[in-house]
Amino acid sequence: MNKPMGLNSTPYLSYQEILVDDIDIYDDAWGFYPEFNDVIDLLKQVKPVAGRRLTNRLIKRIRQNN
Amino acid sequence: MKKMMTDYELIEKFVKGEQSCFETLIHRHKNKVYAYISLYIRDQALVEDLFQDTFLKVIQSVKSGKYYDNGKFISWVMRIAHNLIIDHFRRIKQLNTVSNDDYESDLFNSRKLAEENIEDHLIKRQIQKDIRMLISQLPDDQREVVILRHYSGLSFKEIADITEVSINTALGRMRYALINMRKMMEEKKITLTFN
Repeated sequence: MNKPMGLNSTPYLSYQEILVDDIDIYDDAWGFYPEFNDVIDLLKQVKPVAGRRLTNRLIKRIRQNN
Repeated sequence: MKKMMTDYELIEKFVKGEQSCFETLIHRHKNKVYAYISLYIRDQALVEDLFQDTFLKVIQSVKSGKYYDNGKFISWVMRIAHNLIIDHFRRIKQLNTVSNDDYESDLFNSRKLAEENIEDHLIKRQIQKDIRMLISQLPDDQREVVILRHYSGLSFKEIADITEVSINTALGRMRYALINMRKMMEEKKITLTFN
């Protein structure tokens, strides 16, 4: 017997199961990565981070001031 | 599983005297703030000063009741950082001092290079320099969106809040920025040669 298309071939995926962490829906909708992956991959080569020394210095200052 | 406290819950506890709550906020948001400042300012010492000043100003404002929760804590913090950067440039303009753009320092605290060989290190430094150059040559509004999205990791909704434009305008600026950067990459023959 013929079954309606899709009903027996597409696994059901609930909304909660769709992984959307760290995805910006607007970014995704505008398709920046598929179109500009070369530029975005280049930008990703640097990652400025606040070092531990600087963070500790800030926390120490805050503790002193409070 | 223990539920992570929201920014506002942490602020409330901090105001009531729980010092460690503000430290949690610092650890949660420090890289977003640092990345934003470090891509505007070249002088490493100044970046560190502005980074600290931003959080000290946040504390001052929180304690004087100037922060009202609307779920946009990080947008508010970034606006404080932005204003401090603007103040800095205004001061420089008033003093008519020489730009610190020529100051050469490794502003990108990327992963430790100790185990990398010299060639890799040099290539990486060149790529970092190229990226900084690409970003610095963008118009101000496009540069801001790129930094906030790719280095501070903010959503377009948050970027729209901070820059006081619609989400569509922020998205449009990003698109133009990416087009412009690709054009510059082609003109200057910049490619990703290191992984």
